[in-house]
Amino acid sequence: MGATDILLMGVIIGGALYLLYRSVWKKKGHCSGCCSEICEMNKKYSSRC
Amino acid sequence: MSTMTEERLQGSSRAALRAEKKAITVGVAGNPNSGKSTIINAIAGTRLHVGNWPGVTVEKKSAIFEYGGRKIRIVDLPGTYSLSPYTQEEIIARDYLIHEKPDVILNVVDATNLERNLYLTVQVMELGIPTVVALNIYDEAEKRGHTINRRVMEDMLGVKVIPTVATKKIGLDDLLKSLLEVAENPSAHCPKHLNYGDDIESAAKMLETQIGLTPLAEKYPPRWLAFKLMEGDSQVSGEIKPDDSGLSVSKAVGHLKTAHDSDIESIMADARYAQAFGLTREVLQKTESGNIELTERIDRIVLNRVLGIPIFLAAMWFVFKLTFDVSKPFADWMSAMTAGPFKGWAEAILGLIRAPGWTVSLVTDGVMAGVGSVLVFVPVIFAMMFFITFLEGSGYMARAAFVMDRAMHTIGLHGKSFIPMLLGFGCNVPAIYATRTLENPKDKALTALLVPLMSCGARLPVYVVFIGAFFSAHAGTVLWSLYVMGIVLAIIVGICFKKTLFKGEAPMFIMELPPYRRPSFKSLMIHTWEKGKHFLIKAGTYILAVSILIWFLLNLPWGVENKKDSYLGKVGQIIAPVLEPIGFGNWEAASSLISGVIAKEIVVGTMGEIYVAKPEDEKKNPSTFSEDLKEVGTSFVHAAEDSAANVFSTVGISSLSSKEDEKRAGLKAVIQKTYTPLSAYAFVAFVLLYMPCVVVAIAMRQEFGTWKWFGIAFVYQMTLAWGVAFLIYHGGKLLGIGG
Ligand SMILES: Nc1nc2c(ncn2[C@@H]2O[C@H](COP(=O)(O)OP(=O)(O)OP(=O)(O)O)[C@@H](O)[C@H]2O)c(=O)[nH]1
Ligand SMILES: [Mg+2]
Repeated sequence: MGATDILLMGVIIGGALYLLYRSVWKKKGHCSGCCSEICEMNKKYSSRC
Repeated sequence: MSTMTEERLQGSSRAALRAEKKAITVGVAGNPNSGKSTIINAIAGTRLHVGNWPGVTVEKKSAIFEYGGRKIRIVDLPGTYSLSPYTQEEIIARDYLIHEKPDVILNVVDATNLERNLYLTVQVMELGIPTVVALNIYDEAEKRGHTINRRVMEDMLGVKVIPTVATKKIGLDDLLKSLLEVAENPSAHCPKHLNYGDDIESAAKMLETQIGLTPLAEKYPPRWLAFKLMEGDSQVSGEIKPDDSGLSVSKAVGHLKTAHDSDIESIMADARYAQAFGLTREVLQKTESGNIELTERIDRIVLNRVLGIPIFLAAMWFVFKLTFDVSKPFADWMSAMTAGPFKGWAEAILGLIRAPGWTVSLVTDGVMAGVGSVLVFVPVIFAMMFFITFLEGSGYMARAAFVMDRAMHTIGLHGKSFIPMLLGFGCNVPAIYATRTLENPKDKALTALLVPLMSCGARLPVYVVFIGAFFSAHAGTVLWSLYVMGIVLAIIVGICFKKTLFKGEAPMFIMELPPYRRPSFKSLMIHTWEKGKHFLIKAGTYILAVSILIWFLLNLPWGVENKKDSYLGKVGQIIAPVLEPIGFGNWEAASSLISGVIAKEIVVGTMGEIYVAKPEDEKKNPSTFSEDLKEVGTSFVHAAEDSAANVFSTVGISSLSSKEDEKRAGLKAVIQKTYTPLSAYAFVAFVLLYMPCVVVAIAMRQEFGTWKWFGIAFVYQMTLAWGVAFLIYHGGKLLGIGG
């Protein structure tokens, strides 16, 4: 196992921890599926009538 | 979070708006279940949650779209019956209308329930903000033989009235045109002052004059503020302290009090009801349609005092059986694919880029085994979400709450609390937020404490693995038993809490039962997707992250031979003795349960990594890419055939997938070796109960502003989980079953 391996592992573990922090904690419990934040849409209303 | 988004939005769009014109802000207010969210979805292309029961929307949400060259920012609000400050959603809706002052209020009225809806309209008029009324659900009103004279209504209210059918996008163009017109020329569309009678009006006039002399006139609509002060509205009085502002409220209402011999709040309510009643009488014409409506006929059976609960339980059983039968072939297909071709491809790609050897193991034995074991159950989760969406869309949701009302009263709650609990079957997180519809803070806290006992979609993968291994002949029934166990335990725990933490009587249960509606296929698909999407995102985020971390924990210290000696193994061994008395005292179970704290489906992911098949076990013939691809395709077609056949057959899942079983022996085989049916059932019961996942913990903290309720939930759930698993394991042994 060389230094690059150890470095790579460090990066992967760090990345995983960050991903966990971001997805679990930063969203403060608002799960993405329930659209709890503001749903910003930028669409033109296309009339269908 | 939301305020941040809003600020950013306001900041970024400000420049853009100066170039065009200011965006028009439309606040959408109306009774619950009048179709507000449906209207916004139809005009702005959003996918806001809709359902055929009152109380779906509990937060304010906004969308921006363009119409007629203007930007319109439309804000969905929770439905309310009045603008009083009693429930949290009422406060959210009211605070928005008063403090953020939208340019136009879109008041959505359920045309089939005109009088009740107009009671809110009358209050909206008090705000003096330009308003447009949408007479929604006009199709059903017409079907019932109701006609509403919109011209008369426009005259009486002084605002535009547009009939709409949001589900069919009828009338929405007119509605948008009116909104623009009103925004361009607001002063011409201010609501009329409805006359509440001389006594009220003169008292209000007096206060309004006083308010006009204070800075309050810029902050609040004066007429509305006068009414609220007269009523003694607790929130308003708290905010502005009338005595400090030099307003003599008691003097203003003095005459009113002596003349009517009743409290002002009821006098005002009567005056508003009188307006709503009068308006309805003027504009609504009913031609009797003699036949009994379908809704009534179904309700006679479904809401029957004796049959109600059995029917609810039977419906649940049916749903679980179908969920299992429909999704199992697809789950088996995904499982075979992740263990076969997909794994081979990953190995090939990593070999091609000459990645270090250990990364191949990380990807195949870590990520693919971990995430793969969970992804396999995505079809099951989607099937479940489909049924929940159907339940919500059809109108049965509100009936289930009604039927459970009596049972809920034994724990000091009313049937309304059952709705957040039912929503918890999808995901406990939105269920925690749904407790907002409960008026009493005590009810809210108790309901939130019981929600985690409702078995969410994330627990399904665990059940399916264990049920598939031991009880596949009765899969639907065993699955059903777990959900029912959750409900029954919620009632028992509720009784205990009522005797200790939450003393007091349950308030009256008032919940409207909407008519049954057939949800459109498209909306079923959209909302199933919106719910299920969350589990896919989870697989790509936390489950991915945890799978990687677990792989390292299983392989550190570096070069560890036996997984038992890895860090994860060591931690598992410390916990295992605690689980010994309940039937699964092995380190594998212990460490899976620890990882499952992040999200319960990770229990299966971690087991997938721990029990990953050793390379020498697999004797696979190398296959070419095109062969693989062909297998992926043909086996999927077989899965689809099996699934369709299952829907129609009553034989269930036992007849199929024996072929797959041999091929992928993997996790299931190891579990069959490690557990007995009894300890397996104890294990799944433990997973059902043992604690809310981290995200639910954070949601509880968010909603209540304290960790207290999560702390209580954690302690009682751990105790309960251990106790129930102990009873199952030892009780079963005593009875000599499944040992
Ligand atoms: N027939 C008919 N049904 C409609 C119409 N508009 C909405 N619905 C149905 O009415 C139900 C309620 O719609 P929602 O949009 O969730 O109502 P809401 O006003 O947002 O309700 P809350 O969020 O609970 O306040 C859904 O089942 C819709 O499909 C309509 O114009 N005609
Ligand atoms: Mg809504």
